[in-house]
Amino acid sequence: MLGDIVTIVRDNWLLLLVGQFPAGPLGGLVATLILSVLSIVLAFPVGMLIALARLSKSPFLLWPSTVLVYVARGVPLLMLIFWVYFAVPLLLGNRIPGFLAMLITLVIYEGCFLSEIIRGGIVALGRGQMEAARSLGHSYMGAMAWVILPQALYNMIPSILSQFVSTIKETTLGYVINVPELTFAANQINNQLLTQPFQVFFILAIIYFIVCWSLTRVAVLIERRISNKRSGRGGTVSEATVRALTAEP
Amino acid sequence: MITFEKVNKKYGDYQALTDINAEVKRGEVVVVCGPSGSGKSTLIRTVNRLEEINSGAIHFDGRNIQAPMGRRELNRLRSHIGFVFQSFNLFPHLSTLENITLSPIKINGVKREAAREKAMALLERVGLAHKADAYPGQLSGGQQQRVAIARALAMEPPAMLFDEPTSALDPEMVGEVLAVMKSLAAEGMTMMCVTHEMGFARDVADRVWFMDAGRILEMADPETFFRAPEHPRAQRFLSDLRH
Ligand SMILES: Nc1ncnc2c1ncn2[C@@H]1O[C@H](COP(=O)(O)OP(=O)(O)O)[C@@H](O)[C@H]1O
Ligand SMILES: [Mg+2]
Repeated sequence: MLGDIVTIVRDNWLLLLVGQFPAGPLGGLVATLILSVLSIVLAFPVGMLIALARLSKSPFLLWPSTVLVYVARGVPLLMLIFWVYFAVPLLLGNRIPGFLAMLITLVIYEGCFLSEIIRGGIVALGRGQMEAARSLGHSYMGAMAWVILPQALYNMIPSILSQFVSTIKETTLGYVINVPELTFAANQINNQLLTQPFQVFFILAIIYFIVCWSLTRVAVLIERRISNKRSGRGGTVSEATVRALTAEP
Repeated sequence: MITFEKVNKKYGDYQALTDINAEVKRGEVVVVCGPSGSGKSTLIRTVNRLEEINSGAIHFDGRNIQAPMGRRELNRLRSHIGFVFQSFNLFPHLSTLENITLSPIKINGVKREAAREKAMALLERVGLAHKADAYPGQLSGGQQQRVAIARALAMEPPAMLFDEPTSALDPEMVGEVLAVMKSLAAEGMTMMCVTHEMGFARDVADRVWFMDAGRILEMADPETFFRAPEHPRAQRFLSDLRH
């Protein structure tokens, strides 16, 4: 069993890593990671705009953004993938590659989830910071840019990393529209071997686990750092010494 | 400098301010006191429109602040009114110095170097020049409030509003904040202070306003107010405060 797994990995590591590349499209783990990173990076500004719209008092911003978030949260991701994959060609007149369809879907979906994280982070700061900034004469957007978002986004880094981990797991659904990513590569291997599905999908699970688990660890470490910093224990030893030396009588 | 004319304010059905008529003259220090929930914060927050009023008029420096104005104008108006909060509200992601320089740089377009020099002078003045690079989380409450005062002063406001600036402080830190406020008063700053520090009121205030249930029940010079308050509520408030 372990021998089988080693053999499969030895024979197929390149396929698992980059898919058919360079002979065919880029796939495998690299494609999974590229898709995930692109999704979260593009979803971030989208999420930011949705969050600001959801916090706005204008009904023209509030209503559509709220509906969008509720739809995204209330519909299975697979449905959204099908909608984008089949609806966009109807709108544009020609088909789009699976990778692009998956990317668009994830940007919308993750954008909505990130917007809730961002909104929560802003609300969690409380009114005091906004009021202090406004009383100094900052505009709403100025207060957001210089005072609110720098704090809120910093506090959100762990949540955003967790969302990134979810995104990696969600890219597996790209399989249904033939996106050449890691799951797709594993399935190709399985189709060649035919007799060892357990071993193949065990390898697949291990790869996802290693990637996601390490990222989760990073998120936990960052979270700890941030909460230490917030409770004032973040100063390095030298800073603490300086503090003791300069403390007022 | 600050006048209230028949000001009324409601939160939903709740009447938070009723027929407020009052004036803070230029260079005057007014202390606003009264039991918790009497509307002191609401009153002081109407001056820079952190709270909107339902009727009446408020003038600041000769200007009707309720007059229709664009957002920029409102922001400009606010930048001319220093406001100090009970909970300091320093920006925790910025150093002491950056807390003070942020607004002059971003709002008034002051050059970074000039803003830093000015901020250092202000820190010197509140006795915290050695904390310029510290973050708010590393400062005591009293130090944070002094930085908050310096931050407000950096916008060179002609008047300062204080909403219970020492209420969140440990007793041993109250003095250092009051000392800064006293020095401001001595320089002729127009000040409206919500505070229960009666020693401060006695030493520094030109007028004391006593509020209860959304009304100003008594306005007097501190001497008279503390010796012989007229209103029974004020008498009770003062005797409660002394015990
Ligand atoms: N945002 C608000 N919404 C509803 N009621 C409020 C709000 N803020 C204050 N109040 C009410 O208005 C009254 C006056 O409050 P406040 O001005 O904070 O009193 P003080 O500062 O004198 O303690 C209180 O009864 C309080 O519950
Ligand atoms: Mg209050």
